Amino acid sequence: MSSKSKKDYYSILGVTRNASQEEIKRAYLAAAQKLHPDKNTAAGETEIFLEVQQVYETLSNPKRRAQYDATLPPEIKVNLPYDHSIILSRPSLVKMEEPQMLYIILEMQAPVEMRRAPSAPLNVSIVLDRSTSMQGEKMDVVKTSAIQIFRNLRQQDILSVVTFSDRAEVIIPAARHEDRARLEARIQMIQPAGGTEIFQGLDAGTKEIMRSFDSKRLNHIILLTDGQTYGDEQQCIELASKLGERGVGISAMGIGMEWNDIFLDLLATRTGGSSAYIAEPQDIKKLLLEKFDALAQVYAEDIALVTEPMEGIQLSYAFRLQPDPGLINVEESTLRLGPILQDTSTRVIFEYIIHPTAVKSDIATILDGTLKVSISSNPLPTPPLRMKIQRPVSDKAEADSPPPEIVQALSRLMLYRMQERARAEIEKGNIEAGTRQLQALAANLATQGERSLARTIALEAERIRQTRGLSAEGGKKIKYGTRALFLAPPKKESAS
Amino acid sequence: MIICSNCQHDNVAGTLFCVECGAQLEGAESLTTQAINQEQIVDDLKKTSATTDVPSSPANSWLSLHLMDSGKILPLATRNEFTMGRLSEGQPIMPDIDLTPYQAYASGVSRLHAVVKRDAERVVIMDLGSSNGTYLNGRRLNPHTEENLKHGDVIALGKLKIQVLLRNI
Repeated sequence: MSSKSKKDYYSILGVTRNASQEEIKRAYLAAAQKLHPDKNTAAGETEIFLEVQQVYETLSNPKRRAQYDATLPPEIKVNLPYDHSIILSRPSLVKMEEPQMLYIILEMQAPVEMRRAPSAPLNVSIVLDRSTSMQGEKMDVVKTSAIQIFRNLRQQDILSVVTFSDRAEVIIPAARHEDRARLEARIQMIQPAGGTEIFQGLDAGTKEIMRSFDSKRLNHIILLTDGQTYGDEQQCIELASKLGERGVGISAMGIGMEWNDIFLDLLATRTGGSSAYIAEPQDIKKLLLEKFDALAQVYAEDIALVTEPMEGIQLSYAFRLQPDPGLINVEESTLRLGPILQDTSTRVIFEYIIHPTAVKSDIATILDGTLKVSISSNPLPTPPLRMKIQRPVSDKAEADSPPPEIVQALSRLMLYRMQERARAEIEKGNIEAGTRQLQALAANLATQGERSLARTIALEAERIRQTRGLSAEGGKKIKYGTRALFLAPPKKESAS
Repeated sequence: MIICSNCQHDNVAGTLFCVECGAQLEGAESLTTQAINQEQIVDDLKKTSATTDVPSSPANSWLSLHLMDSGKILPLATRNEFTMGRLSEGQPIMPDIDLTPYQAYASGVSRLHAVVKRDAERVVIMDLGSSNGTYLNGRRLNPHTEENLKHGDVIALGKLKIQVLLRNI
């Protein structure tokens, strides 16, 4: 911004170089009011006032301004290699003695001219559960899918395959692979046996990733499991946090109904990744191949929003609406928002609870942080973007209706969260409250034209009344069913 | 606080969709459900319970709704389930049967009020947690509980009275 040591006139007034005469005048009056010798109290402010005075005398005169401009070095413009925009649910906050909600959508996308650029080479480790329960169709499909993935790889891609039960084996070490026939034979030889210890597999997969770790590659772990892990959850999550810090993503895929979706979500969200539900073994191939397609379309592999804590401002919920709908972990000050794909923008919605202490003055700062985006295909490091979202505080609520983007996103998110609430109630033993929520959810889905999901949920609610508990399968169908709605265009159905 | 007009749940100010029932809260002030005095509904129902002539349901529909104030008959076919309510602009909630043309707002009909459905042997109605309740022959129904319907029954969504016409009965 500043040339050498001396600040330029425009930054003294806090305006841009292309500011109009009117803007310059306004900026000067605002500064003069604050700094006038009759009013100022702090030492040195009179000097600043005189400086502002001098700056204004130059800039307010077009001829002198032009002369001054000619002496300036060319402006260094920070060009970000991505576009971003922000939408708020309301233009201002209200001074009140009770909490209030504010929703913010942050959207980021690759600039048009970068969307066709070749994506970064991959460094992917597939971590496969080979416990006894994988026997049969599941393992067969996993094997043929892994072989298919090898055949689809580009020459520059690195792939490793690790299997685990209660211990882990490296089936194919991380490398660029030439002799595919031999690799296929090794995959064919995987035999299901033993228990499920996810940490064993994750740890071995991490070692493979780290052996060929390269910030110019897209480093990613795909975890496939059909069971629950016991006792090593905390270890897994700590490892996932470390991977997140290194920019390594985790995609977790659960097959069937025995796995723990809440745990896999926790694991994946530590890295900005997400979990997926594979109901039937025959769907494994499709989902795995789609995942690899998505990895090959990544533009920026990791968006991290580092936030400063704000008095009275609570980020209560965050959710990625697209490309891959999923939770964002809000427990830590660094929010991992996931990747930006070449063709699809990344949209995240934040829900803030604003407490009365935050709206005491005329302006409230909701978010103060830095957006860090890593783009492995871009040789230059991406400059971090300072993000500060401030809103004026008014005495009365504005009558404006919220922007359609916010309403549309929340109309879907509302469904997903009803499911979360219902599940939490049922787990606490509040069967009545939980089933009521599920029925309300079914009614909302039915009216949005989602009849088959509505029916599934209504049936599950009925079942819960009898069995006093959510079925493992029902819980997943409802969760991932409502999650999939974010990708579907809104349905309209006529009564005919 | 914003109190949801659909389920009376207290939501934090600035919330857009009720966390309890999913109804849209803000930007819909003019579209909220009119509160109706309950005694009024029961009184109104008593007045009309003397109705004797029951029109028959048109062919090929399993259920027809006879709107008693306007005399209009809505035949329902093709699907086994219809939600009833009031369509409102910019809402994600879309009832299958929009009762707006029949004074639904003034009668206190919620946006998503009740559902009628049929299975192999019966036709049922269920209140979907409406503000002013659903009545069956003058008796207020518990929300989210199915009740059997007979030919000629009079249901009321708030104050909007509808006679149920079933086929083959």
